[in-house]
Amino acid sequence: MDTPVTPSAETPRNGIMENAAPKISVKGVTKVFSSKRGEVTALKDLSLDIRDGEFLVIVGASGCGKSTLLNLVAGFDSATHGEVLLDGRPVTGITPECGMIFQQYALFPWKTVQENVEFGLKMKRMPRSERKERAAKFIDLVGLNGFEKTYPHHLSGGMKQRVSIARSLANNPQVMLLDEPFAALDAMTRQVLQEQLVRIYEKHRKTIIFITHSIDEALLLSSRIVVMTARPGRIAQEITNDLPHPRNADVQLSDRYLELKRHIWSSVQAEVLKSMEVETR
Amino acid sequence: MTSKSNSNLVFVSLGSLLVFLGLWELLCRMGFIEPLFMPSPTQIIARAVKMLDDGSLVQHTLASTRRVMVGFVVSSLVAIPFGIFLGSSRFFMAVFDPFISLLRPLPSMSWIPLSLLWLGITETQKYSIVFMGSFAPSLLYIIEATKSIDPLLVRAARNLGASNLDVMREVILPGSLPQIIAGLKVMLGIAWTCIISAELVAAREGLGFMIMNGKEYFQTDTVLLGMVMISITVMIIDVLFRKFERRLLPWTRQ
Repeated sequence: MDTPVTPSAETPRNGIMENAAPKISVKGVTKVFSSKRGEVTALKDLSLDIRDGEFLVIVGASGCGKSTLLNLVAGFDSATHGEVLLDGRPVTGITPECGMIFQQYALFPWKTVQENVEFGLKMKRMPRSERKERAAKFIDLVGLNGFEKTYPHHLSGGMKQRVSIARSLANNPQVMLLDEPFAALDAMTRQVLQEQLVRIYEKHRKTIIFITHSIDEALLLSSRIVVMTARPGRIAQEITNDLPHPRNADVQLSDRYLELKRHIWSSVQAEVLKSMEVETR
Repeated sequence: MTSKSNSNLVFVSLGSLLVFLGLWELLCRMGFIEPLFMPSPTQIIARAVKMLDDGSLVQHTLASTRRVMVGFVVSSLVAIPFGIFLGSSRFFMAVFDPFISLLRPLPSMSWIPLSLLWLGITETQKYSIVFMGSFAPSLLYIIEATKSIDPLLVRAARNLGASNLDVMREVILPGSLPQIIAGLKVMLGIAWTCIISAELVAAREGLGFMIMNGKEYFQTDTVLLGMVMISITVMIIDVLFRKFERRLLPWTRQ
């Protein structure tokens, strides 16, 4: 292959300050889970820097520790070795600075759309009227006007995930962590939500870490892509995604797109095969 | 179609009840049943009219209902927050577990002698019997209900800045409320058995007292009237409870 992909270290980063301290810094993290059946090393000596305002997509085979990594950044779990830094300070517990979006939405079924979106603000003891105003803004942003008083079980999957995004944004986190957020949605809904997320990213410039196993999704959304190895999870490859915006159908049919896709697939494929060998052994 | 057949079924139920009462009345009138052992429906109705007239029927019914309600509400108000607390703290669960395990198998009847010794034949004694009979099982229902919460929701709440207390109040309580209410419905039935047994042993009013007193004077119709009143009162409270449940859980409505 005639070097179609330049290693990230030498690539100019589109509009993102190169020398600024990283927003999130994962330093030599190892995570071992112990269970009755023995120990499983989910992540091994993984290091990764994420800059402020970056849209990082992590791609990898299932069971490669992508979610484990995200849980460490969110503070849901702690590393066996190494540490995760947010703005240079170690993450020691769950922090609202890193808003998490789950694949299963995790909406509170006993709260209406509006009450769900207001949740983080209520936790900050924000006055009711102010809360309502702010929630309305984000419900509007995700296009759910008119559904304020609806309970989640009346909503479709796509709408639920939009509520979850609005709930996270209303809380104004610096970092958004998305764990395969669109994996459970149908293809059309997924596309709509991907476009919506890109618009939100461009408007609010949050730092985003997004996990997926869809290479197309990674190419559509990211400013940088990290491919993870099969268990124990490590970084197999980093690719700066220099595709032009908006990444419409033309871009998706361009040579550069196909080139990147082929490149990522070849390394993901190797990892998938490796992980299947591990499972059958 | 369905609604029509449903209303037909109501008539079937009503019909079977009337046939039963008719047969009963007939057997009594024809002398197959001794009224001392089993008075006829009309005798029971006559007794009801008489006791409604002198106000004693209402007095006994209200006395028992009040005792059940006070004991049950106090027990629930203590058990709900305590159960949610124990459900979210494994340490304190371990601290209290031996006592709950010891209390739970005790039937409320077994508390009657001690409660009489400590409190005498008082209203407080009646409340305490209902409380002791329903507290430990309610607590276990509530602890169990807290375990049905999806841990992902707790994570999401913590991620949005909720403290431990916030999680209990905003996630665990509302999330386990459907199961808690289902459990309390069962407990309400148990509270009634508590109060009737307490009144059978020692009381000056109440449906249990009425039944016991009727037996003393060989007024079998009073005994049966007391039993019928228990059934009717529990049925009415059950309907009210269901209304209250629907209001409390609007999000479970389809």
